[in-house]
Amino acid sequence: MDQNRQGARASYVALSVFVALWVLAPSAVRRFNREAFVEFQAPALHLLGKSRDLATFWEKKSRSVEEMAAAGRDLARVNAALEIQINKFEDIRRENVRLREITHYNVPAEYMSVVARVATRDSSSWWQRIVIRKGRKDGIRPGAPVVFGNTVVGRVTAVHLTTSEVDLVTSPGFRCTAYLEGDEQNNIVLVNGVASNSLGTAKARVSVIPRDYSLLAGGQPTRVFTTGMGGVFPSRLILGYLDGGTYATQVGNFKESLLVPSRDLYNLQEVSVLVPLHQNPGEALMQGEDFQ
Amino acid sequence: MGWAWLILLLATYPWLLGADLASDTLASSSLVFFISGSCLIAPCRRLKRWQAVLFAACLGFLFEARRPIPDGTLALSLVAIAIFLSSNRQLMRNTPGMLRAAAIVNVVACLVWFVASSYASPAAATDLAWHLFLQLLLAGIVGTMGLLPIALTQNAVLDRLTVPPAPDTP
Repeated sequence: MDQNRQGARASYVALSVFVALWVLAPSAVRRFNREAFVEFQAPALHLLGKSRDLATFWEKKSRSVEEMAAAGRDLARVNAALEIQINKFEDIRRENVRLREITHYNVPAEYMSVVARVATRDSSSWWQRIVIRKGRKDGIRPGAPVVFGNTVVGRVTAVHLTTSEVDLVTSPGFRCTAYLEGDEQNNIVLVNGVASNSLGTAKARVSVIPRDYSLLAGGQPTRVFTTGMGGVFPSRLILGYLDGGTYATQVGNFKESLLVPSRDLYNLQEVSVLVPLHQNPGEALMQGEDFQ
Repeated sequence: MGWAWLILLLATYPWLLGADLASDTLASSSLVFFISGSCLIAPCRRLKRWQAVLFAACLGFLFEARRPIPDGTLALSLVAIAIFLSSNRQLMRNTPGMLRAAAIVNVVACLVWFVASSYASPAAATDLAWHLFLQLLLAGIVGTMGLLPIALTQNAVLDRLTVPPAPDTP
């Protein structure tokens, strides 16, 4: 019995020494350790995601031929309409580039779009994240915006060999600048995620709303768009909608509101990662040691 | 057998993956299905202390790997718990004792990562008492209910590895 007690005491002492060494160890050691455990789990996450895809495949395969033919016909119509739009936008893009060259205006960042399947979602009060099945091997870099259509999903926070972690718009670590729909003066507001304290949908906070800003008439939901400033997100992407009007802050100079994501972020199966073709300064900062 | 802890970890991993899947399903409620504490109980009854320590550390690091929790907080806390449990095996000599230990360890470990995350998070902690209570309640329930199937799997693996059974008396 005494031997057991002595052994336990020795173990606690050894643990204390290890804790001290762990705290003093260079961050590279801790990062290597974290990376090793992430890579250990990566094959299981891929397997999980692929099993889900397989289940969806068999579910779709069980549908009738008529149903599939109807879906194909609808898709062909949508494709035709989109092709017309693409041509129209290409003309506008050329015109835009020409005008920017004439006025020596800043050229907006260009992005490479990487489509990725969602492997798993994870959410608590302190984080709202999804893990996607594309990583460093596919050219994804930390800080890259993640979108679905024209909706912002979040931002890549950690990149591993074959997987990446994405902080959602509502996650406490997320911050970006935005414009409000109907604000003709284009005042910049701030969007940042907040710690979730309810069982309902997680929301972000919209702050620095000018006092004289009024919501859209007719009770229409007010959309919140990205500004494109800072070079992380392209401009005019939808971040979400203002929820339940605005309220004055304690100091009273500005108003605040909550932002509801425009899509159910926990039901996404696929997202696009917009990887900047050229590294921007913000991205360079994110590659620092403390960024996680 | 020196590698028993590693083989046991591989055998326990499907349960951890299952918990991640359950967390995925619960994602819209911002609750995490946490079972790492429960996974520690059966090994601490049968493995040697150093094996239990390595097993606990790996359990903690596996949970922390993809989450913004300060490095090593949960892992080192689980190690401390593993040292305590493997030095006080008499507390877990029967099923009610094991169930009680599972609930307490799971809740304590859950509290550790929750507080550690709040320390690392840029957001302020306001009105979170209710959510913390729900998270701890879930951890307690899951820890208790999950113990028996997890312990059955782990004991089966330990039997195959010819690790001696837990003594009936301390």
